[in-house]
Amino acid sequence: MPRRTNSSEFEQLALPLLSSLSSHAFWLSRNDTEAEDLVQETLSKALRAFDSFQAGTNFKAWIFRILRNTFLTSRTAIANARTVFLEDDPGLSDITDAGPNPEEHILRLENQAAVNDALDRLHPQLREILLLCDVEELKYKDIAIVLDVPIGTVMSRIFRARRGLHQELQQHFGESL
Amino acid sequence: MTQTTPVNDHPEPIQLSAFIDGELSPSELQAIQRHLTECHPCALQVLSAAQLKAVTARASQRFLPPPEVLKRLASQLVPQETTKPARAWSFGHWAWSAIAAVLAIAVSSIVWWQMRQANNLTAELLDQHLAVLSSGASPEIISTDRHTVKPWFQGKLPFSFNLPETLPPDTTLRGGDLTFLRGQPAALLLFTIHRHEVSVILTQRSGNPAITGMPVNSSGFSIKEASTRNLRIFAVSDIDPTELGSLAAALQAVQSTQ
Repeated sequence: MPRRTNSSEFEQLALPLLSSLSSHAFWLSRNDTEAEDLVQETLSKALRAFDSFQAGTNFKAWIFRILRNTFLTSRTAIANARTVFLEDDPGLSDITDAGPNPEEHILRLENQAAVNDALDRLHPQLREILLLCDVEELKYKDIAIVLDVPIGTVMSRIFRARRGLHQELQQHFGESL
Repeated sequence: MTQTTPVNDHPEPIQLSAFIDGELSPSELQAIQRHLTECHPCALQVLSAAQLKAVTARASQRFLPPPEVLKRLASQLVPQETTKPARAWSFGHWAWSAIAAVLAIAVSSIVWWQMRQANNLTAELLDQHLAVLSSGASPEIISTDRHTVKPWFQGKLPFSFNLPETLPPDTTLRGGDLTFLRGQPAALLLFTIHRHEVSVILTQRSGNPAITGMPVNSSGFSIKEASTRNLRIFAVSDIDPTELGSLAAALQAVQSTQ
């Protein structure tokens, strides 16, 4: 009977997240079929491990972490692992400036296709954290749980992601900025 | 988070990024808010970052899973504990339960989708209005004359609209511009009611299906929506919602009378 209660509780918690999980899985894998497989495997793993989920903590962060770990062991992730990611500089010495002039900050963002392209060109790890923050609306502390990194790293990586996206868009719009 | 915000100096860009995410401590938040009221360049950076955040969220919509995928995934959540051979009546019971579950999932998905769409639309409308307020940029057509503003849009939009001859009391047309709403071309009309700026966005109804559950108030701004047979009209301002509603209603009424 406790198993049934857990299963029912899991269903209640997971059902509203199916769309988010699927969308995020697609962003990670860039493949419809693989994304669905990833979510199926994630749900299966999460249900089996549901006893270890602590009530009162963030279920979304918990299951997104499982999704991410599932992806990291997938063929696509392993194949992409050669991509070098310049890890966060703890001193943040390179992020205090190098941005555009204040007047250049206002972007012409009505071109959604350009934004989509810029997101595509962003480094996968930067894109991933931006999506967790801006799309999934996870708090920094929950993103830290999903990615298993310190909260300061979350903060700096999100900033770097936004700066990268801004620069990609500036290149796209060029003089029209 | 761990850094302090110098009151008399510009905040670090990383702090502004955390600011738009609502991740600063109360003291940091207060310091930055105070700085932003006095520093135009930093306010522009925050506006830009907020726009970028909103547009990133919208970009995610292109990968929303199709309903059949959601249905397949949802079926995985339904407890499958029946291992005994099913009798005729129990199969019927199971079948009805499955249908009920699928229906519940479908309804939940639709409600969830509607809420998400409504929130995104609200954010986009507020973005547009804040951009008008903050940039100080002049609209492409500046005029209080409806016979000047309306013709300016001809050939620029795949639809036309009417402007009322008589506006509600103390309401003035200021001009117009082209914009996009949910990826569709739209007319942006600027009005003032008393001294309050009002943004009105008109777009084709076909490209923007009705969304229920859109908040009428968000971040201190009111949003009024009106529809005609072919158009959807959104009005955004910090004015009294009743007066905003009067303008939306006047625009709605004139579409069918002229």
